[in-house]
Amino acid sequence: MKDTSYKFEKSKRGLMERLFESPTVRSMSPAAKVVAYSMLAFWSVFVIFPLYWVVITAFKDADAVNKGPFYIPFVDFAPTLDAWRAQIAADPFCDGYAIVRQLYLLVYNSAAYVVSPVVHIAPLDPQICKIYLAFTNSIVIAVTSTFFCVTIGSMTAYALARIQYKPKFGNIVIFVLLCLVVILASSYVGTPWYVNAPVALALFFLLARSLGKHFKATLGNGDILFWMISQRILPPVVVIIPVYMMYQAVGLLDSHLALIVIYAVGNLPIVVWLMHDFFAGLPIELEESAQLDGSTRFGIFWEIVLPLTRPGLAATTLLTLILNWNEYLFAVFLTTSKALTMPIMLAAKNAGERGTLWWEMCAIIVVMIIPVIIMAILLQRFIARGVLLGAVKG
Amino acid sequence: MANGNPGVPVSFDKIQKSFGAVRVLEELNLDVKPGEFLVLLGASGSGKTTALRILSGLETATEGRVRIGDRDVTDTLPKYRDISMVFQSYALYPHKTVGENIGFPLKVRKIPVAEREIAVKEAAAQVQLDELLHRYPRELSGGQRQRVALARAIVRRPSVFLMDEPLSNLDAKLRGHMRAELKHMQEALGTTTIYVTHDQIEAMTLAHRVAILERGVLQQLATPSEIYNNPANLFVAQFIGSPPMNIIHGTLQGDVFASDAGKIKVPVKGKVEKALLGFRPEDCSIAAAGKGELAGQIFTNELIGDHTLVTVKTNKDMLAVKAPKEYRGKSGQTVGVALSKGGLYLFNAENGARVR
Repeated sequence: MKDTSYKFEKSKRGLMERLFESPTVRSMSPAAKVVAYSMLAFWSVFVIFPLYWVVITAFKDADAVNKGPFYIPFVDFAPTLDAWRAQIAADPFCDGYAIVRQLYLLVYNSAAYVVSPVVHIAPLDPQICKIYLAFTNSIVIAVTSTFFCVTIGSMTAYALARIQYKPKFGNIVIFVLLCLVVILASSYVGTPWYVNAPVALALFFLLARSLGKHFKATLGNGDILFWMISQRILPPVVVIIPVYMMYQAVGLLDSHLALIVIYAVGNLPIVVWLMHDFFAGLPIELEESAQLDGSTRFGIFWEIVLPLTRPGLAATTLLTLILNWNEYLFAVFLTTSKALTMPIMLAAKNAGERGTLWWEMCAIIVVMIIPVIIMAILLQRFIARGVLLGAVKG
Repeated sequence: MANGNPGVPVSFDKIQKSFGAVRVLEELNLDVKPGEFLVLLGASGSGKTTALRILSGLETATEGRVRIGDRDVTDTLPKYRDISMVFQSYALYPHKTVGENIGFPLKVRKIPVAEREIAVKEAAAQVQLDELLHRYPRELSGGQRQRVALARAIVRRPSVFLMDEPLSNLDAKLRGHMRAELKHMQEALGTTTIYVTHDQIEAMTLAHRVAILERGVLQQLATPSEIYNNPANLFVAQFIGSPPMNIIHGTLQGDVFASDAGKIKVPVKGKVEKALLGFRPEDCSIAAAGKGELAGQIFTNELIGDHTLVTVKTNKDMLAVKAPKEYRGKSGQTVGVALSKGGLYLFNAENGARVR
């Protein structure tokens, strides 16, 4: 055997090895660095440029937009506040107190709505700055609907992840049939609905108790979950006319409540599906342990389950918030002036008599983006991994 | 620390459990004495964990009653049963510190903060955790997590401790150490403890009495020495002991057990067509060729430390024999195996029952 041993010499590397081999285990090879950083740089430009373009366009005037493209403020074009003045100064109601007036109007009209079945108080007309109105409307509607959606949705998801439901198929059929009977009786026989509904409900419990024993086929949690997501399979536009007519019947058109309800209900399936996976992924021993320690079902949910699914909850909340914040279809159908939201304001700039007002649009977009960015920054610290480490592994 | 709850008795009365068509427990009758350390021992799938979960209330029995003290708790919610449980995975709350973990059972009972802190400190001191109260579970080693789980169980002084394989996630050395601590703690507190394990060493060392379960049937309930020296049936005899009891096949006629390897005079009388003779590795010894009741060739020698384990191959069976640590046999060497009269057990091969 010769005296040499066969090992790699770092000094004898070829060109390709120098390029593609990482010098130490902690670093990347030169070629990989070039590729990775150039791809990252390209992608950053791809993501950041539209934002940059929106922001600078918001400070352009008509000439700077139409004779462009101009890229750099102060160099290519002189920035102006025209687009912002058009929103604020041109509106006689837009002054420093606009927000206060807007909040007062909101509280007053909400109170008026709540007491309306008892005393009639005429709601105030929104004689106020339009962009403040749309902005506060959007915030109130998006935040409230997201709150209800995430609260109800995560509780539903937890129940479906931890409790086995076995609804009898026959009972569900009975329930649906009785619902139909109530509708038909209310509209054709003429008996009031508040009589029909309790009678039907009592009848349902009676039938479910007596006939229910004989039904064999049952549904499981998987079926319930699928039924929920199936509500999102059809595009929302198919329900827009029935929803419009229902709101018309109860006098909720152009109100905050109308949009809050429809957004909360519409996004419920998404929340349930996302949160269900997070809850199902939790080790069940933690909940069993808490149960033996004496926690109630709600206590376990609040004190053990929610803190551990906080990253998922934060991500779901952010997603729902953005969906509700951007929603256009229902908003455009169900509102006219009082419950106007930002997307409607934005769309209105698209088809004016003076053509598309890109600079005004961009000013509104900037206003719309800011709350979302703030929420994302607030929530992103919860969207961190590794929370479950040390729970059940040895 | 003041003594915990004075021990209360626990009883399983004709407990049955089925998951769908699968019967996991068949009529389990088990009485645990006050203050007793009872170990439920069995292989996986024997129903031992199910029995424990039925007692804890996490699972409901299909039939039968469970009693803790003089209360029938069959239909009682887990939180009102006054039990605490240590899980195999510890089930520590990862978002709570050690102190908050230990104090959680008291927090949900709305014990005032000052009182709670004293109790937490006491419980933590009991398991040497006092320095770590502000750490999170992820910052602890496996043994420390195990202690947190124990402290959380003892902090509220329950009537009964339930432990579901609490030591099986620890390494061998730590397991031995924690076993001793656990035994000491249980003796100091005097709380009735039911402990589930598949590890016979844990069962033998910890228990006042061991209950051996197999396929949902209680095989034997007795003290560790009784289980070892007087197994009720073939399953228990083979389950306990390491290496397990040697078994040879043959027939019993009168007081003579006849097999291919030789005829052996046994201390019982009977007539069993298919009989099994069992004896433990330490109840036999290597004899010179031609001597001893059985004959065979040496298969392997293993030096364990305090003894040499010799495996002898007879016509049909492999026999483990504990020889002195100086013993060195050659593989293939013909030897005899001498049996000691007191260590012979006879079983019926048909049903595994002990022939007495």
